[in-house]
Amino acid sequence: MRVFWILFTAEWRHFKAARGLVLLTSLVLLVGLYGIYYGTTEIGRQRQHLAELPALAHHNVEELKTKFPEPADAGEIGYYHTTFAVHHPTPWASLSLGQRDVNPYYVKLRLLGLQGQLYASENVNPAKVLSGNFDLAFVLVYLFPLLIIALSFNLLSSEKEQGILPLLLAQPVSAALVVGAKLAFRLALVLGLALVLSGVAMLWARVPLDGRVGLWLALVMLYCLFWFGLAFLVTGLQRNSAFNAVALVGLWLVLVVLVPGLLNVYVSAARPVPQGIELTVKQREEIHGGWDKPKTETMNRFFALYPQWRDTTTIKEHFVWRWYYAFQHLGDQSVQPLAVAYTDGLRQRYELVNRLNWLSPAINAQTSLNALAGTDLPTHLAFQRSATRYHDTLRAFYYPYLFRQVAFTHADYAKEPTHTFTSSSEISTTIRGLGKLLVSLGVVYAAGLLLFRARPINPR
Amino acid sequence: MIQSIAQKEFVSTLRDRRFVVLSVLVLGLLLAATLVGRASYRTLQRERTVAQQTVNDQFHHQPNRHPHRVAHYGSFAFRPKSGLSFLDAGLDSFTGASVFLEAHQQNSVNFSQAQQSGSLIRFGELTVAFVLQLLVPLLIIFLCFSAFTEERETGTLKLLLSQGVSLRQVAWGKIVGYGRAVALVVGPALALAAWLLFGEEEFGNNPDLWVRLALFGASYVVYFFLFIVGSVVVSAWQQHARTALVTLLGCWMLGCIILPKATANLGANLFPTITKAQMDAAVHEEAQKGINGHDPQDKRTALLKENLLKKYGVTSEKELPVSVGGLVMAESEAYTSQVYQQHFADLTRTYERQNALSTWAGLLNPYQAIRPLSIGLAGSDFAHYVHFQQAAEDYRYQLVQRLNALQASMGYGDKERKLDAATWRAIPTFAYHAPPLSWALGYLLVPALALLLWAVGLSWLGLKVIDKTPIA
Repeated sequence: MRVFWILFTAEWRHFKAARGLVLLTSLVLLVGLYGIYYGTTEIGRQRQHLAELPALAHHNVEELKTKFPEPADAGEIGYYHTTFAVHHPTPWASLSLGQRDVNPYYVKLRLLGLQGQLYASENVNPAKVLSGNFDLAFVLVYLFPLLIIALSFNLLSSEKEQGILPLLLAQPVSAALVVGAKLAFRLALVLGLALVLSGVAMLWARVPLDGRVGLWLALVMLYCLFWFGLAFLVTGLQRNSAFNAVALVGLWLVLVVLVPGLLNVYVSAARPVPQGIELTVKQREEIHGGWDKPKTETMNRFFALYPQWRDTTTIKEHFVWRWYYAFQHLGDQSVQPLAVAYTDGLRQRYELVNRLNWLSPAINAQTSLNALAGTDLPTHLAFQRSATRYHDTLRAFYYPYLFRQVAFTHADYAKEPTHTFTSSSEISTTIRGLGKLLVSLGVVYAAGLLLFRARPINPR
Repeated sequence: MIQSIAQKEFVSTLRDRRFVVLSVLVLGLLLAATLVGRASYRTLQRERTVAQQTVNDQFHHQPNRHPHRVAHYGSFAFRPKSGLSFLDAGLDSFTGASVFLEAHQQNSVNFSQAQQSGSLIRFGELTVAFVLQLLVPLLIIFLCFSAFTEERETGTLKLLLSQGVSLRQVAWGKIVGYGRAVALVVGPALALAAWLLFGEEEFGNNPDLWVRLALFGASYVVYFFLFIVGSVVVSAWQQHARTALVTLLGCWMLGCIILPKATANLGANLFPTITKAQMDAAVHEEAQKGINGHDPQDKRTALLKENLLKKYGVTSEKELPVSVGGLVMAESEAYTSQVYQQHFADLTRTYERQNALSTWAGLLNPYQAIRPLSIGLAGSDFAHYVHFQQAAEDYRYQLVQRLNALQASMGYGDKERKLDAATWRAIPTFAYHAPPLSWALGYLLVPALALLLWAVGLSWLGLKVIDKTPIA
């Protein structure tokens, strides 16, 4: 044990003396802090935007109150009144932004057909989303492996190249202890850095202290350990430093860049998503066809879905709102199978990625962190379902006014249902990811140990 | 002498097994990316052409309708993929593919590829440009990091110089030799791309695309040249191969991974934008109350009616030969559009400011110079996207105003009547023409200059460093 500490402290002194490495480590620390700053400001901005929506809705109501004095026709109100379905982030979203910048975090809704409104995009700078998010998850998944590689690519080779290893091994020290102490020092450094950054981020984002803290830390630790495992494996090959550097950077390239790129190509080809646009085009056709169809035909189709309004007065007028909203809804109904196929297609795509993410621990770590933060596709789909249900309750709120021809008073605005949805963590996805990471880790270390056992360290 | 050094480097590179493995890998990826890019380009293009054709037919085959109904029925504009986007998809995966065009409001461009994918897409897409911008430089680094250090360590540099060759000549010889090796890897892929383009009828005789492809190739030649010179210089400057390699890899990571993301994110933090909901509300507000509170809508409408009565010398709407509803609609559309255009221009300007940070960073980082150049030439950059949005909005405005004019001409009581189905067939449909290269050049000036500046500066400074490099 004493020898281990001597070696360990020697590594510390070495590290302090190597200005390049100290610089690199502080750079990673700074970059990590920037990632935390960026992630929290981005989520802060989204929160602020969401907080401004009620004011817009309120302003809209005030405008309608002057435009439509009491007693108003609820049909007019439903047509001009805009309300919002909002998607609040979890505090964890600041640590791993995922797709929250690509997918809109609110939907503006009117009483009209839902499918024409549900897929509206938010103002977004495409050049920025192409460059991607510089959040803590990016620093951990992309850059930490590089730090680990820079710290450990010459674990034994530099000692060998400088001729120190034969001297060292001439002492009563086993080679395993030397490698162990060297790895342990680097591990302590990197894991300490990851812990500090994660801790700062959690405090800054004010995440609730529950099991997810442990899950996040476990994911981050295992992911770092995986890369140390690779460094250990490459060290076991006992080649020179240049070879090790090229091999490790090559592995990084394959796991972090190539496999994700290739998997993306494969997944889009293997799970083609039915075009969302087909759905909106068809819905438009149905809705506008409603104007030209006999009113009784439309109403009978609608009453088949909502028999509770069947006893309402027959429509004789040229135009009446309840007929208008009936064919709006029938338009949604007609594309229901397409809408289901569209979201199912997206979900299947996501699930295929999750099934294959063992191919690269980087993809696994990224998707698991996003699942923990509730910032990936499934959460967005859950939000869309929630927005759909909200649209249902809005219709249910307005239908009595429309079908019983009840006047809409100014006090009724306050009775209108509102919507809120907060992401939740996809814990089961995260735990599955953790399990797979553990397996990858086991494989890498087992291979490394086998290699060291098969070929004892040659000091020269 | 430069020639023989170049030849020696070229031959020994080809004999190096590591290089052969790596370059076969890169070449394979390039060819695969070209083919995959081509296939996905064709699928998307076909889908969009078919969809555009469908909505155009639907528009032309409407029954007898009131023109304002038709204005609400509207149409869709689909963004065709630009010719070279199969080489560099640029922003295309993150911008929407279609926009619904209707009266009274400007809708967002929806259904981007990124929205139809999980976060996997954020790791980056495997396109030709991706391989050329990120992986080929890595190949170059692995190829060149030991250019001088090895000669020094084995003592051959001394021998070489004793033959009367200058250090500069050695450096140039190496640069030319490595250049040939890189050309051998990249050349076939570009040739395949050109051949694929040539095979397409629509591109066969489109000189604009050929010039774009030629400039695309030329920019990458400069880019690779930069990396070769840089790597050779670092190799001369550093004492050991190991430190040269680590330095070069560090530069690659900083330039190709960290800086682009950091500047894009910083830009977004420095120049915040408003949400679509806020923008729509502001447009609505100004259209209702008038820009800066002047000319609210009610007043504008009243004035319009008054002037009409005066113009036709009548006392009531009934006697007018035109429909007041149609004219009010036209006036309101014109006013709202004007307001919207101002807000849209503001938003675009803010985005341009955000992006300018990245573009100017091209002066510090060649990767951020080649990227805008590459996507600009491929027609998949921000400027081309805005051009499409503008074209779609122009078409929407023309369409709606045409329908409003039709309504106005129907005279009093137009609401009770419909226009014949043949009317809709006479209305032109949306046809997007991507802007020519001459239009795009203005946006490419800064990145092109940055890249050239790098090439000249690096060669000049680098050779100065090489002059002082220790021989042993």
